[in-house]
Amino acid sequence: MSVDVVWVYAVIHVGRAESRVSGLRGVAGEPVQVVASDDLAAVVGVVSLDEYGQDALRRNLEDLDWVSQKARAHDAVISAIARSGAVIPVRMATVYLDDGRVRDLLENRRREFAATLSRLSGRAEVGVKVYADPASLTMPDEGCVDHGTRSGTSYLMRRRRELASREEAYRAAAVEADRIHTTLMRHAVDGKRKPPPDRSLSGRNDVAVLNGTYLVDSDAVEFFRETVAALAMSTGRMSMETTGPWPPYSFAGEPVAE
Amino acid sequence: MAAVLVRGRAGRRMTEVLSAQEDRRISLVDLLDRVLAGGVVISGEVVLSIADVDLVVISLRTLVSSVGSLMSVEGITGGDHDGPRVR
Amino acid sequence: MTGPECGDLVAPRQRINSDPATVERGLVSLVLTLVELLRQLMERQAIRRVDDGLLTEEQIERVGTTLMLLEEKMVELREHFDLRPEDLNIDLGPLGPLLPTDPA
Repeated sequence: MSVDVVWVYAVIHVGRAESRVSGLRGVAGEPVQVVASDDLAAVVGVVSLDEYGQDALRRNLEDLDWVSQKARAHDAVISAIARSGAVIPVRMATVYLDDGRVRDLLENRRREFAATLSRLSGRAEVGVKVYADPASLTMPDEGCVDHGTRSGTSYLMRRRRELASREEAYRAAAVEADRIHTTLMRHAVDGKRKPPPDRSLSGRNDVAVLNGTYLVDSDAVEFFRETVAALAMSTGRMSMETTGPWPPYSFAGEPVAE
Repeated sequence: MAAVLVRGRAGRRMTEVLSAQEDRRISLVDLLDRVLAGGVVISGEVVLSIADVDLVVISLRTLVSSVGSLMSVEGITGGDHDGPRVR
Repeated sequence: MTGPECGDLVAPRQRINSDPATVERGLVSLVLTLVELLRQLMERQAIRRVDDGLLTEEQIERVGTTLMLLEEKMVELREHFDLRPEDLNIDLGPLGPLLPTDPA
C-alpha cells in the first residue's frame, strides 16, 4: 500500500473554497482539495510519498523536466484559484505528512494569513525587466589630450578613458534603473527589486539593470503595462519587458514551510 | 527549500515561453524564480576534450557556491539550507 | 548556500571539442584567450595605479608601451591563426563569458 503526503498549493478564505477548487487537477493529476481550519483553508493535493517524499523530492528537483512540469501545474492551480478570489500562493514542493499538520499550520499562523489575504485581495504581480545595451551607452573616444611623442603614455591614457567611460555608462544605466523603479513604485501597491537574471538563463547579450516585480490591483494591470511602455519610450536606449501577470508569489510574506 | 542548481545548457530551455493564456507572458525561468523558494541558481561544467576524450573538467559549482554565500542576496540564497523538508 | 543537498538540474555538459585536424587551432585559441585575460587584467591594474598616482611618468611610459606592444602582438597572433576577437573567449556558463564582450 503506498503512503500519501500532502502537497500544498495555496491558502485562501474558507468561504466558497470547495467551489473554487472544484474540477482542478494538481501536480500529480490528483483532484485538488481543501483542508479547512476556522476561517482559512489550505488548497492541497494528495500525492504519493514515492514521488513527493523528502528523498524523492531531493532527486526530482535535480531533473529539469520534472521541475518544469510540476512548476507549471502548481502555477496553473494557483492561477485558476486567483481568478475567483484572494489567494496566498505557496512555493512549490511544500509538502506535509498529513492533513493534521496542514491544519496546525493554519492555526499557528492564522492572523498572519488573514492579514496577508486581505493585503493581496484583488491584486496581481507584474514583473518588469530593464535592459541596457552597454555598447550604445559608451561614447566614442574623443582622443583629445596630446601626450607628445610618448606613445606608451598615450596608449595607456586612451585605455583609461575608454574603461572609465564604460564604467560611467553602467553607472548612468543604474541611476536610470533606480528612477524607473521609483516611478513604477508610485503606480503600484508594493514592489521589490530582485537580483538580475543570470545571463546564461536570460539568453540576452545586454545587461539587465533592473529586475523588479510589482504588486498591482488586478484591474490596473493593463494601465501599469502601458506605464511601462511609456517609460520605455522615454528612456530610449534601454529596452523594457513585462512578465505576468502572476499570482502574487513575491508578496506572500514569509515562506509557508518555514 | 534551498536554491535549485541548473547545470550546463539549460539556457535555451529557460527562455521558452510557456503557453500564453489570456494575455499572460511567462517564461520558464521567471516561473521557477517565483515558485521555487530559493530561486534558480546555475552551476556549470565545462569539459575540454580532444577526439571525444574528456581531458579536463572545470566544475564551476564550488565557485558559484562561494560567490553566492558572499552575496547572500534575497531571492538567490535563504530559505532552508538542508534541502527539501517534508513536515 | 548551495551544497550537495541542493538539486542540480542536469543537462548535457558543454564541451569544447576538437577533432585531430583542428587540435592546434583549438589549443591556440585557448592559450590566446588566457593571454588576453592576463593582458586585460594587467591593463586594468596599470590604470588603477595611474589613478592612484603610484606611477612616475617614466613608469607610465614603460608600462604603456609594453601593453601597447602586447596588444599589437595579440592582434598579429590572432590574425595569423585566423581567429576573430569573439573566438578568444570561454563561456563559463553561469558566470557568463570569461572576457567582456562589449567594446572598451
